Amino acid sequence: MKKILVVDDEENICSLYREELEEMGYEVTTVLDGSSAIAAIEKARYDLVTLDMRMKGMDGIETLRKLKEKDARLPIIISSAYEEYKNDFGSWASDAYIVKSADTAALRDTVKKILG
Amino acid sequence: MEPVERTELSILSEIGRISTSADDLHRKLQRIIEVVMRGIGKEGASVFLLDRSGKNVILEAAAGLNQEAVGKLTFPLGKGIAGWVAQQKVPLALADPYSDPRFQYVPETGIERFKSLVAAPIMDEDRCFGVIFVLSGQTWNATSSEVTVLTTTANQISGVIRNTLLFQDIEDRLARLASIYEISMALTSTLDLNQLLSLIARNTSSSLRAQGCTIHLLDLPAGDGENRDFRPKFIDDAVGGLDNLFGGRMLSSTIGEKRPLLVADTSQDIRLQDISGRHRVSIISVPLLFHDRVTGVITLYSAEHGQSFNDDDLQFLTTIASGAAVAVENAALFEREERLASDARIRAQEFSILYDVGTAMSATLNLDRLLRIILTAATMGGTGLGFNRAILLLTNERTNILQGMMGVGPTSWDEANQAWTEVAWKHKSLMEWIQTGELFASKDTAFNAIARSIRVRLEPGDSILAQTVLDKRAFNIIDAAADPRVRKDVLEMLKVNSFATVPLVAKGRAIGAILVDNLFTNRPITDHDIRFLTMFAHQAALAIDNAVIHSNMEAMNRDIRIIHEQLAQSEKMAALGTMMAEITHEIRNPLVSIGGFTRRLARKVTDPDAKKYIDIILSEVGRLERIIHDNLEYIKNVAPKFSRTPLNSVIEEVLLVYEDELRQRGIAIERELSPDAPSLDMDPQQMKQAVVNLVVNAMEAMEKGGTLTARTGPVAGSREAIMEIGDTGPGISPESMHNLFNPYYTTKVRGTGLGLAITHRIVKAHKGNIVFRNKETGGAVFAIRLPLPRE
Ligand SMILES: Nc1ncnc2c1ncn2[C@@H]1O[C@H](COP(=O)(O)OP(=O)(O)O)[C@@H](O)[C@H]1O
Ligand SMILES: [Mg+2]
Repeated sequence: MKKILVVDDEENICSLYREELEEMGYEVTTVLDGSSAIAAIEKARYDLVTLDMRMKGMDGIETLRKLKEKDARLPIIISSAYEEYKNDFGSWASDAYIVKSADTAALRDTVKKILG
Repeated sequence: MEPVERTELSILSEIGRISTSADDLHRKLQRIIEVVMRGIGKEGASVFLLDRSGKNVILEAAAGLNQEAVGKLTFPLGKGIAGWVAQQKVPLALADPYSDPRFQYVPETGIERFKSLVAAPIMDEDRCFGVIFVLSGQTWNATSSEVTVLTTTANQISGVIRNTLLFQDIEDRLARLASIYEISMALTSTLDLNQLLSLIARNTSSSLRAQGCTIHLLDLPAGDGENRDFRPKFIDDAVGGLDNLFGGRMLSSTIGEKRPLLVADTSQDIRLQDISGRHRVSIISVPLLFHDRVTGVITLYSAEHGQSFNDDDLQFLTTIASGAAVAVENAALFEREERLASDARIRAQEFSILYDVGTAMSATLNLDRLLRIILTAATMGGTGLGFNRAILLLTNERTNILQGMMGVGPTSWDEANQAWTEVAWKHKSLMEWIQTGELFASKDTAFNAIARSIRVRLEPGDSILAQTVLDKRAFNIIDAAADPRVRKDVLEMLKVNSFATVPLVAKGRAIGAILVDNLFTNRPITDHDIRFLTMFAHQAALAIDNAVIHSNMEAMNRDIRIIHEQLAQSEKMAALGTMMAEITHEIRNPLVSIGGFTRRLARKVTDPDAKKYIDIILSEVGRLERIIHDNLEYIKNVAPKFSRTPLNSVIEEVLLVYEDELRQRGIAIERELSPDAPSLDMDPQQMKQAVVNLVVNAMEAMEKGGTLTARTGPVAGSREAIMEIGDTGPGISPESMHNLFNPYYTTKVRGTGLGLAITHRIVKAHKGNIVFRNKETGGAVFAIRLPLPRE
């Protein structure tokens, strides 16, 4: 079973993503901040990370950089409420960039594309 | 002792006493002849003396004769008994002179009272001073001893005369020396030419016992010596007539020969005889020589029938003249310098005017006010330039026309009089006038209207005004009516026949011209006026140029201010954008939760009512998300990141996203993508967004299905490519047409009104344009044109 780490400082988003992704058959772990995310990948191996951009404490970009330092090949989907960084991050450093939406279709499509 | 001897002795002792007296020569002679007359026991006696020329004898003293004849009765040497005796230098006794051929009767002398006479020459060695007569009322055959007594007496008299003459000579010389001294003092102390000349004239006249003096001088200001005129600078009233008669010839001979000229008697002189007539005067003319150049002539005239001038006099006058020449030259130089200095004063005054005007001009950058100052200065008497009227014209480089801008000057005689009377100027300086305002009724005068109506094409030969600007030179038109260069229509308007124009040249560019005239005073415009006006115009031109630059700069500042405001506006927008981003983040996350869980709820709920409510929630969440998206997109306004992108790929990618949705809504897609559609420099993300908005609108317009047409291709005859999205909907309603691209304009219940505004902005940022049209078959077409890359 593929393992996904969801990183978002909003608990509701975390549980929404968990439910949607678990429904698709993945094992989902959620953390609420960047440092916990790094601690998590040091403890266990993950196949994919969804990462919020704007979080309290260590923000998304910093977390992204650290995660890539630990494991350069770990796929990361940025999931953000911001639209404007889409172009910047689309192909750089992360593997995908989705704008958060009530319609989780984009999330599901992207995860499926990466993990198969 | 013989009675005659006694007589002789007493006469001689008497003469001895007289000779040592303080009397003058005339008085002495008078007393002597009375002694002689009584001594010899006769009724009459007289003395004739040779004049200074030595050519005439004049009656000097008389007893028993009419006293009026004294000083007047004259005989030339050899003529009459007196003249004969003076010439022959021998005594003569005539018992009956009337029968003697040498005798010349002169009436009204009293000679007819006498019957006989004895005459003896008054001799000093070989020189004859004159003749002494003893006259007898009775016929008298004088004895030889009586003649001897007279001869001896004559010798005695000659001693008296010699001493007196000697004394007089010394006195004369002293007087002349004094005169020379006085003149030379004056020469070194006075620099007033007139004063100097009158001093020279007065001194020489009195020293030489002349009737009067004239002094002619070379005309001073003229340049080259040859053609200069000799003008009378000083004329004694007493000899004005004589100078008219003889002056010309004396002058030309003296100047021609460059040496002194002496005429003893005009009636005898070969050079003057023909014009002398009844005049008998003696004249001396002496040139004033300065560096061997004749700078003037002093001429002295003797009294009519008076004493002639001699070589001594000539010598004296020459001495005086040599000093006078230097002094006159100095005085003339001084006068010239004075004139130069006064020129300099005028120049200084002009400069002060220029300075005042310059200051005033630099104080204002308002063009209208500046022109008024310039024209006020040009028309102001007293401290201004003082023309009657002035017009200022400026060139319009774009239209190539010289346009009258303003005219200042009185419109009527009354106003002219008022403006130019002393009173008007007395209390105000140019500066004050400029500061307090208007010299003439301003702005709406008829003259100003005339000035403003002048329009002249700047082409060679069009008019003198055009020529002024084109040639950058001044013109002084004396007779405008006869001048072919003057345009008659302009002349008609100005109603003046003499005027001047000067160009306004700033930094080498002729920016206009000033026209001035003296319509009311008719004062001719001089070259000096033109020179001054030109200087003035130069300064005015610079000031105008500055003012124009300033007003351009003001316009530029205005633009900058607007840009600043726009910038501030966009900064506000940017701030707003940041704020929106914050809000977005805060709203989007809850929306994702609401929407996400509602969707999950929808899958679990089977109750139809609950399903309906859930759909409403989801739809509103979708609407909120769309509002957020569109507003963010609209506010974002980021500069495009250009990359070379095939036009067709933009449309293909968008259609790919909307294919499913379009099919679901019963909308067919018609692709007319030209294989010739080029690649363009664009921001693909932005351009896709621009097309998405069009596609969404088309989709929304075709509620009941239809056909969406996507077309691309090059534009024939233009360096552009085109991209079109057409539909088969209702088309654009006439009410919408003008508002379509305005932000927040929408006709849709759930529209944001931002789609076309965003598309429009993106297209503009790509230097393209967007237009729409309604098809005849129904439906709307939106066309985006984009420029081809530059190569
Ligand atoms: N293809 C079209 N056919 C007819 N009307 C259109 C079309 N596209 C736009 N419009 C009109 O222009 C308005 C503004 O469009 P837009 O700026 O995209 O805002 P919105 O779509 O949110 O209303 C629309 O509300 C509609 O009235
Ligand atoms: Mg729209």
